[in-house]
Order: sequence, then structure tokens, then C-alpha cells
Amino acid sequence: MKEIIVDISGDGEIKIETRGFKGKSCIAEAQFLKDLLGKETSQSLTPAYYEDQKTAVKKHLPLCG
Amino acid sequence: MSHVSKIELEIKDLGTLAAACKRLGLEFRRGQNHYKWFGSFMGDHPLPEGFTQADLGKCDHAIHVPGAEYEIGVVKKGHSYVLLWDFWRSGGLEEKLGKNAGLLKQAYTLEKTKVEARRKGYTVIEKKTDSGVRLHIRMH
Repeated sequence: MKEIIVDISGDGEIKIETRGFKGKSCIAEAQFLKDLLGKETSQSLTPAYYEDQKTAVKKHLPLCG
Repeated sequence: MSHVSKIELEIKDLGTLAAACKRLGLEFRRGQNHYKWFGSFMGDHPLPEGFTQADLGKCDHAIHVPGAEYEIGVVKKGHSYVLLWDFWRSGGLEEKLGKNAGLLKQAYTLEKTKVEARRKGYTVIEKKTDSGVRLHIRMH
């Protein structure tokens, strides 16, 4: 499931996490919140960010020769 | 999870600010051009960026906080609004709204995020946490 988590602390700090996305789509999906709420002051990318949405890998084995 | 961002809030929507005030039991006073504060700048803290001593006490709208002597000024600066307030203890604002009026900023963020996420057709679930509130925005 694709989900955006918004944590808002009692002193007004805002943290946004995206979950369930692969690749760069998370940035685009969360952009509306950033535009809505203010300025992004930091961003850290997680391993899933670097996963391509098309994960199928084809391997060709030499069958002859 | 694929990325984590931290956001510094900018208040851009007066309607949402009024809704946040209602959520907290505060009174948003549209058009009130002054707010109650100590009345004299002591120089013990830096002024908010872009403001001079002469600007203190003046505003475009104000927020009255029941049980507090002082009020919050809402001042338009460019495309957003700045909250001006005197956090001196006797004024009662920090006691009601937390450091840097954090509870008011939290309520604004909740209201704005929920309305816009639902407008996009997403499901929003609100949960309390030890440090504040968490919104789960689920996409279908």
C-alpha cells in the first residue's frame, strides 16, 4: 500500500515519510504536501528510492555454442 | 519507505488558520489590527526576521486565547502570514500553546493536510503519538 505519513510534533515540527513507493515517484506524490505546508529543510533518501519501478530482470543463458 | 523530509511551516491560508483556532478553542479575530503584548521591547531576544521594533503590536488579524492575557498578531508578509506574539510567561500564551505556539502550528498543519488530501481522494487517518499527532494518508 502506498502511504504518506505526516508526523506533527507538539512544537510544530513536521516530518513527512513516504512508504510503499519505489523509485522517484515518492518525491512527486509527496510534493503537494510540501507545496501546501512550506519549505523543505532536509530530505533523506532510503534504499527503496533507488529501486526502479520495473524490477523484472531478464537473464539470457547461452543455450548452445 | 523511500524518502523522509522535514518541513518548515509557512502559513498561507487564513481560512485554515481560523479552522485551527476553532479546533483549539481560540478566537480568530479577522481585521483586528493590534494585538495585546507587554507593550515595550526589552531587547532580550532577536526580533522576528523582517520586522522592526515599531512593527510590534500591529497586525492584520489577531488571535485571542481564552485564559491568556496576551494575544497573537497575524501579519501578512508576501504570500504568507507571520505570527507575532510575546512569549513572556505572564502573558500566558506559551502555557496555552506551547513553545513557539507549536500547538497552533500543529493544528494548522492537521487541518490543511486533511482537507487537501481528502480533496485528492485519499483516505486520512489521524492518530495521537507520544510527541504529537500522526496522519496516515493512504492512496488507492
